[in-house]
Amino acid sequence: MSEQMIPLTEIREKKARGVRPSPEEAPHPDLREELFELEARGELIVQRVPEPYVEVTTKFGRTKKVPIDHLWHHKSCGQCGHIPGYTTSILWLNRQFGIDYLDPTDQTSCTGWNYYASATSNAVAQLLVMCRNFAAAYETGYYPLIHCGTSYGHYKELREQLVHHKELRDQVRRVLDKLGKPLVVPEEIVHYSEWVHVMRHRIAERQVIDMRGITACVHPACHYYKIVAEDAIYDPDIYGGQRTATVTALLQALGITVADYSTWFDCCGFGFRHILVQRDFTRSFAVLRKIEVMKDEANPDMTVTHDTGCVTTLDKSQFAARAHQRRVGVPVLADSQVAALAMGAHPFRVLQLHWHSTDWRPLLEKLGIDWQKYWAEFEEDLAAIERGEKPGLTWEDAEQPIAMR
Amino acid sequence: MQDTMRPILVIGGGPGGLEAARTVAALGHPVVLVERRQRLGGTPDAERYAKLTHHFRDAEEAIGELVASVTENPLVEILTRSEVTGCEGEPGHFRVTLTTPSGAQERVFGAIIVATGFQHFDPGRETQLYNYYSFPDVVTLSDMEAMLKAHQVVRPSNGQPPERVAFIQCVGSRDRQIGNEFCSKVCCGIASKQAIEIKQQLPDARVFIFYIDMRMYGYWENELYWPAQEQYKVNYVKGIVSEILPKGDRLLIRGEDTTMGRPMEVTVDLVVLSVGMEPSSGTRQMAKLLGLAQNKYGYIEAGGPTGLDPVATSRPGIFVVGAAARPADLDDTFATAGLAAARAIATVRQAAVVR
Repeated sequence: MSEQMIPLTEIREKKARGVRPSPEEAPHPDLREELFELEARGELIVQRVPEPYVEVTTKFGRTKKVPIDHLWHHKSCGQCGHIPGYTTSILWLNRQFGIDYLDPTDQTSCTGWNYYASATSNAVAQLLVMCRNFAAAYETGYYPLIHCGTSYGHYKELREQLVHHKELRDQVRRVLDKLGKPLVVPEEIVHYSEWVHVMRHRIAERQVIDMRGITACVHPACHYYKIVAEDAIYDPDIYGGQRTATVTALLQALGITVADYSTWFDCCGFGFRHILVQRDFTRSFAVLRKIEVMKDEANPDMTVTHDTGCVTTLDKSQFAARAHQRRVGVPVLADSQVAALAMGAHPFRVLQLHWHSTDWRPLLEKLGIDWQKYWAEFEEDLAAIERGEKPGLTWEDAEQPIAMR
Repeated sequence: MQDTMRPILVIGGGPGGLEAARTVAALGHPVVLVERRQRLGGTPDAERYAKLTHHFRDAEEAIGELVASVTENPLVEILTRSEVTGCEGEPGHFRVTLTTPSGAQERVFGAIIVATGFQHFDPGRETQLYNYYSFPDVVTLSDMEAMLKAHQVVRPSNGQPPERVAFIQCVGSRDRQIGNEFCSKVCCGIASKQAIEIKQQLPDARVFIFYIDMRMYGYWENELYWPAQEQYKVNYVKGIVSEILPKGDRLLIRGEDTTMGRPMEVTVDLVVLSVGMEPSSGTRQMAKLLGLAQNKYGYIEAGGPTGLDPVATSRPGIFVVGAAARPADLDDTFATAGLAAARAIATVRQAAVVR
């Protein structure tokens, strides 16, 4: 049958073009425009994205500014507590590129986990936590970069509430007045993985570990792209604009093969509250719906994601599953860790892989990294601390890429 | 020219615009029809519809007759590849800038009818789980319509006729998650019509329709729904499909059979997404250019102060037709087109009297 007779070519061409969204057809108004209107009325201050920044495209074709420099690192409870190498890698990358950044000591938890577990007090209190942190960033002149996906999603939801409810703004402002702080909302709420995304080509330029033989599955974080979905980065060249481009674009820039699997859309198992109230479900879901599916369909060398809860859940849920002889054993890393590793970050002083419970050794061996050598260095660091020769690890210990030594 | 005979401008050359222009001319009044595309006929022509719901008339033939009734009428001036780029004035005297292939020109019209219509919901915009852009064998209603017209219902992946076809209803409609909370009104009828046509062309195929509710307005119940089941053995399954996954070289549909109260998995060869309606880019542009209020979905707000005038816009003297104001079938479109034509002529005459 001649294909000229049937419209298949046209259908295929249409699909090959992918989604080309138009901002005019976005289903919601642009919240930033409403923010600027509120600022013009004197209701709040909008902290502008500082230059230099990179403009990226979001889900509905709008532009988002992602700052490169002058960053105020809004850290993550879960990262600092469970996977400290996650945060260290982000800061290490900043230092490698000579970024002017601030690691603040007066930042509080966003209380997002409480929010999702129905354990928060009230909307005003929630907003005040956010606004106090934003005011703290604004006072320093640095721009907030949100490390945690939960905080990022949570703040975006709160920002909507703040913009759309005058009574909330008034109540929040009254309390901030007592604290002597302004009501500030950043022009863009920016996730660290967006910073990694726009830096990916510079990261690739500094790559010293060849990763071309590596296959990875990507788990996009629900908190990143399902909550206030219009704010996530999409790129027609990545999955035809059908999935968020963050993480995947970085891995491709580093020469890693990204392998697809059918449950990519599913949550990691963390849920928005399951991890807190129904942990067995979380563990089962992470193993049965994610890790085993990846293993069966793609058999990757690693899984890469970009949120606190996802790394924790996907990595640490495999421990119990292994005891039950399930098909697990996929190391889980954050994109910041992969980027840092590619640039030669120390696997233990920076990436702190010893905090990960799924065996990462085969991955490092495949990358040609003599992990035993670096583990011995790390053990010596600990011995020196034990002997009282130094109070702890410093950036001087970790700054130099391993390949440069 | 007498004020009472000042021409009426119709924007859009689809079924609504054609019918409005035809009716204005039939009532003896001059009309100018502006169409952005090279051809008249609107979406049924652009998307190569096979047969019209619900009476199974050949779309090309039916729309062709409508086009001919306009092109052959001396009272109708047709400007294709042309757009409205400016508009000022009031009822009875609108100064409109028209940009045509031969340049921009300003013309004066007594009233304006907006018939800029709809576009099909892009199944990749939100409903990524249906994998329209990822899986070759997931198509839309309009893709299927083109295949039916060519009498070649095949799987795009391999060119072979499908053994099992599944329609998924309410893609981009009745969906609070994506913001289109409205029912698109025509997709249930079109899917049922297409299911019948598939069975006519591929008698051995099994056809499923997964739905939230089947909305069979008026006579569609007996014209489409029962024949599909009783004569053509189409399986209607009440339940939302949550995802489509690859399974070998076929597709696995996962969802819930709400009648049986259990999860379901069905393997098929071809999936047809019953995509709903959204205001076209032309509708959005014209609403902004003409200063017409839009509802939260981007459609032109209709109803007027009384709420009972389905063609009145927020701007007196400018009327809206068919799917530029709401999801609409052809009956709705023709009905509002005729009403808008009458209202437009009345506007011109009343304005002339006042002057």
